[in-house]
Amino acid sequence: MIPTICLVFLFFSQAFPQKDSSDYFDINSTSNIKKFADYLFCADDYLRAALEYEKYLSSYYNDTVEFKIGLSYSRIGNYSKAIEWFNKIKNNSGFSNDARNEYFKSLFQSGDYYNFRKYYSENIVNNDKIRNLDKLFYFSYFFTDDELPPRNDFLNPFNLKEENKINEFYQRKTNPPYKSVAAAVIMSSLIPGSGKIYTGQIGDGIIAAIATGLCGYLAYDNFKAKHNFRGWVFSGLIAFFYAGNIYGSAASAQIYNAGIQFNFQNDVKLYLNQQNYFTPEYDFCK
Amino acid sequence: MKALLKFKKWLLQDLYWILNENFVMKFILIFILLFSINIFPQVDKFRQYQDTTDWQKWGKANYSYQHQEPATSEQRYYSLKGENFGGTILKSFADAYWFFISDVDGDNCSFNPTCSSFFIQAVQRTNILQGTLMFADRFTRDLNLFKLNHYPRVEDGHFYDPVSLYTLNRSVIKITPPESFVNTE
Repeated sequence: MIPTICLVFLFFSQAFPQKDSSDYFDINSTSNIKKFADYLFCADDYLRAALEYEKYLSSYYNDTVEFKIGLSYSRIGNYSKAIEWFNKIKNNSGFSNDARNEYFKSLFQSGDYYNFRKYYSENIVNNDKIRNLDKLFYFSYFFTDDELPPRNDFLNPFNLKEENKINEFYQRKTNPPYKSVAAAVIMSSLIPGSGKIYTGQIGDGIIAAIATGLCGYLAYDNFKAKHNFRGWVFSGLIAFFYAGNIYGSAASAQIYNAGIQFNFQNDVKLYLNQQNYFTPEYDFCK
Repeated sequence: MKALLKFKKWLLQDLYWILNENFVMKFILIFILLFSINIFPQVDKFRQYQDTTDWQKWGKANYSYQHQEPATSEQRYYSLKGENFGGTILKSFADAYWFFISDVDGDNCSFNPTCSSFFIQAVQRTNILQGTLMFADRFTRDLNLFKLNHYPRVEDGHFYDPVSLYTLNRSVIKITPPESFVNTE
């Protein structure tokens, strides 16, 4: 009896999967592709979500899907693709304003601040929904060497809550605590190592002073003892350390200034991230 | 021919016996048949959807789980190819230093690139005078024992200190925070 039951069970088990595969396992159907893409999007797997959505769009037009493709690329940092997809969304679409927001946000995030300002100036629309782009427009000045607009104009788009922070950034940009390259060079020329200490490299400055001073003492001592060859060798080393330190002080001041700029831009980016670049949050995963 | 006919007869008799007389053998044969039918459609199904799923698209990650030593601080390039006259002389001295002294002495420079490589790269990027000044500065900095939190690290623990920071060209300075790690490969 048991062998017969086994045979019957095996017979049915080989029959049913065939049925399942045709009815439920059609992952090529457009609805299943979209479901899978939605799942990937909500699981933050944006690259694969975008590819699945693109596959879906080859069969059907859907502006929500286009927008989500743009969002996916934007969230993984592929801004050129994101810009391309946001640009595709038509003006009569319900997502046109959001797409424009995201288009400019992606342009900003890609670091193309000059084109951001150029396209923005060409496409200004008196529309409340994209007015927050004014804020990004002014923020772009923090990332370029261009002269900042007057403070009052700059603060105009921001509300009272934001104003303090923006004022602080404005102050840091207009008066950065840079170190003067010329001052570092002059200081190191007068007292070896002092230029490095001025730029914050205290250990390097002290070592440079010791190396130059020690070589100076050894050169003096050897000349005094009539060991002229050794005296000249140490004189050469003085020149080596002295000149190297003056050059290094100039480089150190430049690196210090680059660090100030780097930290400033990092802080601005952090703030922009906290504010989501003044664009709304979209909840497609409810 | 006769032998073949005899074999055929024997085979048929044997099969007849298996199918009609021996119940256990019959069960095993049917079991194997059904089991195989049950298995193969699954394989086909996998093949059918391979084009549309990520199995093929993303492929297998070629990752070795065996422990690997971190890459050495720097590869030595002894070649003089592409060097001009001055570069050939300078590189020859550096090659001789690497071969006879540095490689024997061991990995003592705490920087990446090492001081000798830094000198070569500095001269190649700028000129002999500026390159020498850059090297003098680097050499002084190398004497400083308290540089722990001033430089980012590469994967093998050396301090990352590229030539580009010291050419006095502001546009090529790329700041890397000291607490970060740099992949030099």
